[in-house]
Amino acid sequence: MHLIKILFFFIIFLSFNANANEARNWLNQEIDIIISAYKNTDLPNENKFLMVENTINNNFAGTGIAKFVAGKSWNGASKEVKIEYIKLFKRHLALSISSMMQGYSDQQYQLTNSSYDEKNKVTLIDMEIFSDTGSIQLTWRVKKSKDRFFVIDLLVADISLVVTKRSEFNSMLKTVDYNLSEFNKKLLSQNESSYQKIIN
Amino acid sequence: MNKLIPTILTFLFISIFPNLIFAAASDEVKTSSEDFETTTSEDEIYDPLEGVNRAIFSFNNVADKIVLEPVAKGYKKLPSPIQSGVGNFINNLKLPLAALNQLLQGQSKNAAESTGRFLVNSTIGVFGLIDVAENIGLDQKEEDFGQTLATWGVGDGFYIVLPLFGPSNLRDTTGMFMTMMTDPINAYAVTQGESWAISVKTAANAIDQRSQIIDEVNALRDNSVDYYAAVRSSYYQNRKAAIMNTDDDVLTPLPLISIEFE
Repeated sequence: MHLIKILFFFIIFLSFNANANEARNWLNQEIDIIISAYKNTDLPNENKFLMVENTINNNFAGTGIAKFVAGKSWNGASKEVKIEYIKLFKRHLALSISSMMQGYSDQQYQLTNSSYDEKNKVTLIDMEIFSDTGSIQLTWRVKKSKDRFFVIDLLVADISLVVTKRSEFNSMLKTVDYNLSEFNKKLLSQNESSYQKIIN
Repeated sequence: MNKLIPTILTFLFISIFPNLIFAAASDEVKTSSEDFETTTSEDEIYDPLEGVNRAIFSFNNVADKIVLEPVAKGYKKLPSPIQSGVGNFINNLKLPLAALNQLLQGQSKNAAESTGRFLVNSTIGVFGLIDVAENIGLDQKEEDFGQTLATWGVGDGFYIVLPLFGPSNLRDTTGMFMTMMTDPINAYAVTQGESWAISVKTAANAIDQRSQIIDEVNALRDNSVDYYAAVRSSYYQNRKAAIMNTDDDVLTPLPLISIEFE
């Protein structure tokens, strides 16, 4: 009986480990696509960003993150406003991530550790980015759904991108009385400004 | 000196007492669970001085763009051994107070390691310029008075943006003053009549720290709908992780995000 228990836990451990390793390999491929896009000097900046945006749209849980970040303004909005907001948010997310990754494109990186958090059904993948004088620690939070992996958050030095975005959006939503339609105008304007900085 | 002690005590009293009052308010989490699930995500940080803070933040942002960022970028172009040497030297100077704070927080093992690190790097590491200690397993673990006060149960207090020093809160500002007053390196500089060295040390630390986050700050600044709120949230998350001494990302609040397909 004791042996069966040990065997059972061993199998559980192996399956979690396999899940974490699978997620890690998947993430490695996707990061390589982003980094290689930035390293390609022949590619115009607009095309680089579109490649990165496409990769992010395919691999981030954009809609779920958008809803979470919108907070209490979500419920009062119409379907059209929500659709418009999700579209704008996904571009905003792509601009934020690609702006950050742009800075890392000439540095070496390594996925150092991956583990599966059974309680929250989330895989945590640690990444270290090396520079001449030190390194910076990132953690990707990844969830599996319908046999696909999706990034649900990115932590840089213990700071969650999603939690920061939610706090930032909440502060701005407060100024428009949590009206998502009004907020969309501000988000559109911010996206246009960020896009100009990325492509120039 | 006789006048200085009552002044410090008065400042500490005024600073710590409101902290205790405001601790509960600052820990409030205002979320609605109707349209999303969340655990400990803090939407509302206690910021009653937001108007003043935003004005100081704008000033700091301009100062950063005009002075600190260009200097940090210039510093980043120096040969990496020089940058590492400066960084190591500054970090080594922080160790005596880090060890004291580790002791005050009951982390005797970490305090012993920090003391060992200081001794090894100050001698074999040529006055701290070379980080020899890391190679023998004595890693840098930073602790400050703000973290010590938090460990003792003092709440955050309200959010403050300090001119030039940036984001803080009442507790961490108190901690910063305690650091200034008790730092043996500062005390030595004052007794030797070399007070200017304190400003040089502070400036060098700011440049060294800023040079390590040039890309991150620019990404945040260029892509925020509200840069002030983004920095405020980042500050609180970073401090919370430092206070909890969490290397384990599982402990960082996890937003419960659903995967949806359109």
